[in-house]
Amino acid sequence: MGRTPNVGPPVALWDPLVRISHWGIAIVVIANALITRGGSALHVGIGWAALALLILRIGWGLVGVPEARFSAFPPHPRAALAHLRSLLTGTAPPHYRSHNPAGAIMVYSLWGTLALVIATGLMMTTASPLKLAEQEAIVASGDWSTLVTAHQPTEDTDNTYRKLVGGVHNVAANLMLLLAVLHVGGVIVESRAMRRNLVAPMIAGHRGRRE
Amino acid sequence: MKSFTTRQGRQSTALAIFLLVQTVAAVFFVGDSVGDLLSDGTGAHSMFEVLVAVALVLGIGFGLIGLRRTLITMRAQEQTIAAASGDLARVIDDQFGAWGLTPAERDVGFLALKGLDVAEIAKLREAAAGTVRAQLTHIYAKAGVSGRAQFAAFFVEDLLAAPLPAATQAGRLASIETRR
Repeated sequence: MGRTPNVGPPVALWDPLVRISHWGIAIVVIANALITRGGSALHVGIGWAALALLILRIGWGLVGVPEARFSAFPPHPRAALAHLRSLLTGTAPPHYRSHNPAGAIMVYSLWGTLALVIATGLMMTTASPLKLAEQEAIVASGDWSTLVTAHQPTEDTDNTYRKLVGGVHNVAANLMLLLAVLHVGGVIVESRAMRRNLVAPMIAGHRGRRE
Repeated sequence: MKSFTTRQGRQSTALAIFLLVQTVAAVFFVGDSVGDLLSDGTGAHSMFEVLVAVALVLGIGFGLIGLRRTLITMRAQEQTIAAASGDLARVIDDQFGAWGLTPAERDVGFLALKGLDVAEIAKLREAAAGTVRAQLTHIYAKAGVSGRAQFAAFFVEDLLAAPLPAATQAGRLASIETRR
């Protein structure tokens, strides 16, 4: 890459697609981790919406505006550690046009974990959310026969596979929540250390706040 | 100018939301089609679904590129406007100097160009309304304009490159001749 493209004046306002996908993923994660029931049509539907958000953001990372592209925040663990060290020692780290190196690692970790949650979720899904909703409606109307066809007697190998995938799904989902808490903590620490509001550019930007 | 850029901002936000809806629709459609494909096998129906899926995905890709173009054009326009407004301020300052306005008159002139009335200027400058009115009269006299409207038009006129409609042109030209 030659020069470092990510050093420069920070964004005053993230572009609408970054903002929408960011808050969309936040809502989706909270909804599916804490509110909806696993396996329900709603849970699966929200999971598919999460997949859409992730795909859209990855597409934007390839063709989007300069500061939203992957090339603006390459994963660089050593730079991330140096950045964290400068926060600890109190020396002012440089301003980055996009995510700072530590933030970039966080972003990729969140996306990777989300992808794992979605992938294992899809492996456990027996039908599309639309069909699941139909089945639920049939069960709700009193006909429980679909439950029998949906859960046919399974062989032992199939059962252990389902257990394994389900376990990974749960562990990854909890990791996702942990990372989200770390992410919020990092934003607070970073805002204090860099003496600038990192949250405003993700909502309406500094301009919107001043008016 | 500001409302122009905020309107574009709203348009790009709307486009981003539309792209999200389109992507959600694509994921649900493709997921449902894959389910059908796995259970029913291939056929004319599934071939059609593949075609629709490809169209949806292409639409999203072009939408993303379009959104990027809109956002980058918007940023370039914001920069141009910022540069132009800086230039206009310099042009006004130079012209005030050429007319030989005093520092107080320059301040009052700027405020008048910004659209403030006598009472507002007086309040801002903590001066009597009469003083401001007298300063404005001096400014108009030095600039050789008949009043406030002509004073403002002096600077706006150069920015309007478009020719006047033929019917009004003669009258306008006459008034400009008397002014100069």
